[in-house]
Amino acid sequence: MFDKSHLDRISPTLWEIPKAFRDDMRAPARVYASESMLEEIAKDRSLEQLVNVATLPGIEKWALAMPDVHEGYGFPVGGVAAFDHERGIISPGGIGYDINCGVRLLAADMDIEEARPFLHDLGRTIFAQVPSGVGRSGKLVLQAHDFDAVLRGGAARMAALGYADSDDLARIESGGTLRDANPALVSDHAKARGHDQLGTMGAGNHFVEVGYVETVFNKDYAKRLALSENQITVLIHTGSRGLGHQVATDYIRLMNRAMPKYGLVVPDRELACAPFLSSEGQQYFAAMQAAANFAWANRQMIAFEVREAFARVFGKDAPTLKTIYDVAHNIAKVEEYRIDGASRKMVVHRKGATRAFPNQPVIIPGSMGTASYVLMGQEAALSESFGSSCHGAGRRMSRTAARKKMGSKTLREELGRQGIVINAGSNKGLTEEAPFAYKNVDDVVNVIHDAGIAAKVARLRPLAVVKG
Amino acid sequence: MKPLSSRKLNLVKRSIAIDAPDATSLLVDFLGEALVWMHTKREAYVAVRFRTLTESALDAELEGYIADSFGEDIKAVTYHEAEVKRNVEGTWATTIIFDV
Repeated sequence: MFDKSHLDRISPTLWEIPKAFRDDMRAPARVYASESMLEEIAKDRSLEQLVNVATLPGIEKWALAMPDVHEGYGFPVGGVAAFDHERGIISPGGIGYDINCGVRLLAADMDIEEARPFLHDLGRTIFAQVPSGVGRSGKLVLQAHDFDAVLRGGAARMAALGYADSDDLARIESGGTLRDANPALVSDHAKARGHDQLGTMGAGNHFVEVGYVETVFNKDYAKRLALSENQITVLIHTGSRGLGHQVATDYIRLMNRAMPKYGLVVPDRELACAPFLSSEGQQYFAAMQAAANFAWANRQMIAFEVREAFARVFGKDAPTLKTIYDVAHNIAKVEEYRIDGASRKMVVHRKGATRAFPNQPVIIPGSMGTASYVLMGQEAALSESFGSSCHGAGRRMSRTAARKKMGSKTLREELGRQGIVINAGSNKGLTEEAPFAYKNVDDVVNVIHDAGIAAKVARLRPLAVVKG
Repeated sequence: MKPLSSRKLNLVKRSIAIDAPDATSLLVDFLGEALVWMHTKREAYVAVRFRTLTESALDAELEGYIADSFGEDIKAVTYHEAEVKRNVEGTWATTIIFDV
């Protein structure tokens, strides 16, 4: 339990652990949260982990926690940290094992009343079309040369293969491709784990969700994004699957061995790091980009499969599903920020945090059965949070505790009473992702909105949830 | 993890030889290598024989079976909370956290 008396109030939504809190801190640590949320946040080790992040070489301004923060491996989940490009480090733990876990939002030219009679059919068909669950392979199994092309090209490669609509790429963060990816720096182990996983959802908290726009908060932004009340939406939440996990594992291992060479000592092995410009740092960054590209290719393939599912259910009356936006929430990017009056390149680590550049859509998936949000990044994000926002509701209860609290039958009945259709491959997986296992997404998003980082555009509600 | 095998007679063997800076890294990295075989060959391991084992290196042979499916998706072996040391009983012990 973190002693909250060490937190200084900066504003009703921002708190700071000063640099003087611990001798080895190189910067203060800041938490975006309401006062009531701090009680929950202080219960696990996320704030101690944030303080550990603040000790890493080259960190600039502050180590940041978003309001959905919870304990992770090394870095907390919901953490943001920026390191000087020349003097600073890169740490795989600051991105997470599931590299480019992220979310895509699509919207249909159809409203909830038109879709309602077909929801059961739609849920079942998406469940059949999109492989999910433990050990399920995708339909597209690529051989070595073609697989490397996906690691190099990401969503753009999937478009070249015919799996994208014409305006998909323009609506994906970084166009769905990080240009300095190097497939040769992705191990054979990682490629072996990922070679048959393209177009698969996985399990855990990954899902495809058909929903609708319940509330529009900002009509101008909603119009810009072509979103309107009662419009049908689709959310796809997944990442780089086994490939990304193996890349992270490989490079945490490499950096653990390399750190003595650079005189680096970290308070937690999962903070293993290397100077960004070192050979190890550059190798990881190039491999991370390849894994990120794989994740974008994966979400592109799933979008294709979902479009096919809609076509099967609705036939000639099938709506067009347009990508609204696709964001990563586990990634590192080199970005420029003004610090002390000068523009400087930073290696921004976002682990369970979403990029929120001005006028960029931010997609925040809530837990199953609750709500999700669309926000629009604001100017203040650049000066206050390294252009970053929260990524979801944030877990507040372990999977074991969630399973003990409610059985799958009761959960399905409760969600059914809300009119939500569930297609899940595992009852255990279902109860682990119950709404009560997560923080209140409305509270999390309100902090981000009130802090001026991103403005609320729309609130989405689920209708049919498909998960592994 | 409960692998289900309808082909129990299909005994498989895999070798792992690695070194590491210390005993904790050695254990985590060894389990990580076993995890790769598990995922890529769809096997579950029930026994291990160490040909050599020191605090910084090991050469081991795993024995197991082809698995029809896995009940849990173990995605990574983390270093989180891992520290190999002797407990009060004098046994070498540690916590290992798997990312699932």
